[in-house]
Amino acid sequence: MEAPPVTMMPVTGGTINMMEYLLQGSVLDHSLESLIHRLRGLCDNMEPETFVDHELVFLLKGQQASPFVLRARRSLDRAGAPWHLRYLGQPEMGDKNRHALVRNCVDIATSENLTDFLMEMGFRMDHEFVARGHLFRKGIMKIVVYKIFRILVPGNTDNTEALSLSYLVELSVVAPAGQDMVSDDMRNFAEQLKPLVHLEKIDPKRLM
Amino acid sequence: MQREEKQLEASLDALLSQVADLKNSLGSFIYKLENEYDRLTWPSVLDSFALLSGQLNTLNKVLKHEKTPLFRNQVIIPLVLSPDRDEDLMRQTEGRVPVFSHEVVPDHLRTKPDPEVEEQEKQLTTDAARIGADAAQKQIQSLNKMCSNLLEKISKEERESESGGLRPNKQTFNPADTNALVAAVAFGKGLSNWRPAGSSGPSQPGQPGAGTVLAGASGLQQVQMAGAPNQQQPMLSGVQMAQAGQPGKMPSGIKTNIKSASMHPYQRFDLKVLRGAV
Repeated sequence: MEAPPVTMMPVTGGTINMMEYLLQGSVLDHSLESLIHRLRGLCDNMEPETFVDHELVFLLKGQQASPFVLRARRSLDRAGAPWHLRYLGQPEMGDKNRHALVRNCVDIATSENLTDFLMEMGFRMDHEFVARGHLFRKGIMKIVVYKIFRILVPGNTDNTEALSLSYLVELSVVAPAGQDMVSDDMRNFAEQLKPLVHLEKIDPKRLM
Repeated sequence: MQREEKQLEASLDALLSQVADLKNSLGSFIYKLENEYDRLTWPSVLDSFALLSGQLNTLNKVLKHEKTPLFRNQVIIPLVLSPDRDEDLMRQTEGRVPVFSHEVVPDHLRTKPDPEVEEQEKQLTTDAARIGADAAQKQIQSLNKMCSNLLEKISKEERESESGGLRPNKQTFNPADTNALVAAVAFGKGLSNWRPAGSSGPSQPGQPGAGTVLAGASGLQQVQMAGAPNQQQPMLSGVQMAQAGQPGKMPSGIKTNIKSASMHPYQRFDLKVLRGAV
């Protein structure tokens, strides 16, 4: 059910396959301020943007071993913002020269009945969490610093507890397939955040 | 001649904008120091200094640019001095210089440094001339050597501390936390209270009625399936209990359904399945 690696797919028209390049790291709570300050200096000049999002992850268990995963996200602090549905493929491993994690990515905005629709389709919610943090941009790079809150009572986004004493830092770029020089730019940017944060490509399969 | 004039004008404009930027950042830095001194942190001060040094660098670059004519060759002479207010001048200098008069001109148009500074410079040049070329060269070399030694020592110390462990007070991130957070975002490790990390979780109580029917149907299938994998959804266990009586009532109907139907809900919309599942 996963899309095959992009390099194998012929370009036959339709939508362009977008890939997400990702670097992740974390920063402890007490060093958050210095990181935010440094990011404000390094990134594009804009008003600091904070967000509170509620993300639900839906699984469709097929006959194959690996279930199909879709992520639905909604904003808790911006009324009227559309729901956001995202598919992330398996990371393309193997290329040691690529400095970032690369995976197929499909993003769409949806209306508010997304969860009902997914339920009708047969998806089941696997887990959900609330993400609260800051968003920065530099050109096409997006840097998000957020804290993950576990939802104690399902469906109740007010009753949450922090998952850990750190903030997750993610540097991501969504670009058409094949543009590997993007990962070089990302690595250069990540160098500027050391030693506060070590942004690196972390293979989630290793952590299972 | 015209080209030179154009060059002069262009370089003057560039210089003006650079100096204006520098003035603004100096102004904001001073404001920060005066008004937010109790909340000010060292990184913030460092950032301001870095900004100023960057701007000074660009200013230097603009001055050294090959297209910039030598300003040293230009002379500014005041043509008219008057003690009256000059509105144009006020506007151009943002209200700082209201009058182009005898007291303002010597300060603003001076080219020589202060007398004390001039004295010190003269002193330094005579000292330098007195030492002699060879001795001066030797001193330069020893200074360079000492600087490089110092740099080496500092970098060695930094490398050792990073690998050794200046951990307690300098740790700004925790790798274990990084792994935990990435695992949470990637596949929900640690995000649900009532099941072990990693396995699938229960659905939320806000499920619509139709969803429950579908869940019930797939629950029936799972009851019959032999050797269900470990990944079997415990979330449907509640529904399974409720429907446990039904398999006993119509076992044969369910079995045929299993053969024809797959797990995918869409394929369940087959008449054979609908008859048996409901």
